[in-house]
Amino acid sequence: MRLTINNLKKKSKDEIAQMLGLTDDLPPSKEAALERLSTLGIPTKKSEEYRYFDVESLLDKSYEVHMHVPKEPKIGEKIVIENGIIIEVPKGMRVYYDQCDALDLTHYDPIYYLGHLLAPHVIKIDLDGDAEVELVHRYTHSGALLPYRIVLFNQENRHATVYETFETEEISDSLILYGYDMHIAKDSTLRLIKTQSMDENRYAMISSNRIKVNDHANALIKTFDLGGDQALQLFKVDLGTYSHIDAGHLLYLNHQAKRGTVSKINHIGEHSTSQQEAKNILDGNARGIFDALIKVEHSAKWTKAHQNSKAILLHEDAYMAAKPQLEIYIDELEASHGATTGQLDRKQIFYLQSRGISYVEARKMLVIAFANTLIETVKDTRHQERIQKAFEKAFYTGHKELKR
Amino acid sequence: MSNNKNEKVLEIKDVHAKIGNKEILKGLSLDLEPGKVHAIMGPNGAGKSTLSKTIVGHYDVEMTGGDIIYKGKSIKDWEPEERALEGIFLSFQHPVEIPGVNNAYFLRTAVNAKRKHEGKEELNAAEFLREMKKYLELLGMKSDMISRSLNEGFSGGEKKRNEILQMMMLEPDVIILDEIDSGLDIDALRAVSEGINRMKDGKRSFLVITHYSRILDYIEPDYIHVLKDGKVIKTAGPELVAQLEEHGYDAIEE
Repeated sequence: MRLTINNLKKKSKDEIAQMLGLTDDLPPSKEAALERLSTLGIPTKKSEEYRYFDVESLLDKSYEVHMHVPKEPKIGEKIVIENGIIIEVPKGMRVYYDQCDALDLTHYDPIYYLGHLLAPHVIKIDLDGDAEVELVHRYTHSGALLPYRIVLFNQENRHATVYETFETEEISDSLILYGYDMHIAKDSTLRLIKTQSMDENRYAMISSNRIKVNDHANALIKTFDLGGDQALQLFKVDLGTYSHIDAGHLLYLNHQAKRGTVSKINHIGEHSTSQQEAKNILDGNARGIFDALIKVEHSAKWTKAHQNSKAILLHEDAYMAAKPQLEIYIDELEASHGATTGQLDRKQIFYLQSRGISYVEARKMLVIAFANTLIETVKDTRHQERIQKAFEKAFYTGHKELKR
Repeated sequence: MSNNKNEKVLEIKDVHAKIGNKEILKGLSLDLEPGKVHAIMGPNGAGKSTLSKTIVGHYDVEMTGGDIIYKGKSIKDWEPEERALEGIFLSFQHPVEIPGVNNAYFLRTAVNAKRKHEGKEELNAAEFLREMKKYLELLGMKSDMISRSLNEGFSGGEKKRNEILQMMMLEPDVIILDEIDSGLDIDALRAVSEGINRMKDGKRSFLVITHYSRILDYIEPDYIHVLKDGKVIKTAGPELVAQLEEHGYDAIEE
């Protein structure tokens, strides 16, 4: 089936269902997703959450919708999902196809619902105990629309970690609609460490996520988005009583890349806390996006919410769209937000030069240092080094040095 | 006393320099002799820090006249890193903090850049760490200085000791110490001074920029130069310190 998503604009629920090839006897979750999609409409450049991202040109292309043909996964060391199909699973780990029975009916992103409608099933991952798992996504098809979604559960009183990476073959012009429905159990911690290096013109991605952090639980979400191309990650996070999210986003973009984060963190429970930090390094003609709202509901007394974005522009044509926002309905809280965009610190460059380090090398050291402050928050040394290498690879291949 | 008849390592010749639109140095001349300690004293706003910035090629400073000759070559158009690689070192009054740059990694990069420039073999990580630990101990610095980010969260004393550590490892020929004693307690001052005194080898020159004579009790100067309104108005031996203490700068006549 070929699909141009923009053709779904201004269509009725039934027309959308027909165009997506959905049958009449939809399960309740899909019926609800259809309802929400038709209410929210297909995103345009005027849509609040997509206004810095060139969504229309992506949705205007005609793609071959990738057909999922599940096969028996082999036993390996990692979870490997190739073109939305589970092909490798660690021994004893529960990774399986299922219907989504816990759709968020208040998500702001229509692509969240479109992804659910297009994906024939979700991939469920049950993280048992203090699991530490590597999840590899692999894409091998050109010109494809690839929708798939993951539903992630962990266990109460446990501390699980997912290290997520992305691989691709020599493909071009594909669009991936992907994302998590993440349910973080009471009194538990879930860490998601995502590293996504992208080359120019391989694939674009809209990753639309929902994270429910239950009472007394902790979410730690670190995203390292490196290189080129177009990708937007959207998060909707709901925080329960005494729950916490620590979100860090590193962006290093070059060439014509347009990538970034759109997030809405909702403080619902009392004493919930959030810490969100974005560090953005923009090279070439790249555009970085950090459009993040923290909303503190009436019910969320005594919360703490802190949000910050720092951007360094390495080239005069680079651009950062930073929009941190707080929406607060109570007085009993501690909150702050801020955003800065600038060049590398001249004093720091000079200090390094005064010790015999060249101007070019000094700039590189400072860029890497800026990135390291976030990379070093990944406590596992092996993964920290892996991310450092991925960053340096993207930076050294993509950076064009300016004359002083 | 005059020092311009002897051999000179650094000659500052009738230098005029401005920061923004303000002319700070107004025809400053000064010669540094090898192996000697030159102290620059003067009131606030005399141009002491601008002098140090001018010598190392700071971006704030625009030289509008005169020349700086180092080891017989004009360096006024050299980049800051070239001056450093050739052996000029400035210990900053306020060393900048650089989060994310590991102190040892930074210093090894600097040491190896200089060794490469001098045609010497670069030090590997183990060799470098051995050297660094030796100097850390000598300066009474904690070993966690190796892994901490450059100057980040350092106390005033730790920052100054870190400057001296860099100085010792980079083995420069001309050492400019800009207010090295500011913000130091007596123990830190002693440790820093010991580090500086160890570097005296009869060949290296020191330019000690200071407001107060306290540091000169620890680092004995050979010459005192009084700077006022962008010029050296008097050069004398160490006996001038006592005179300045008693009568102040206003009593010094051009």
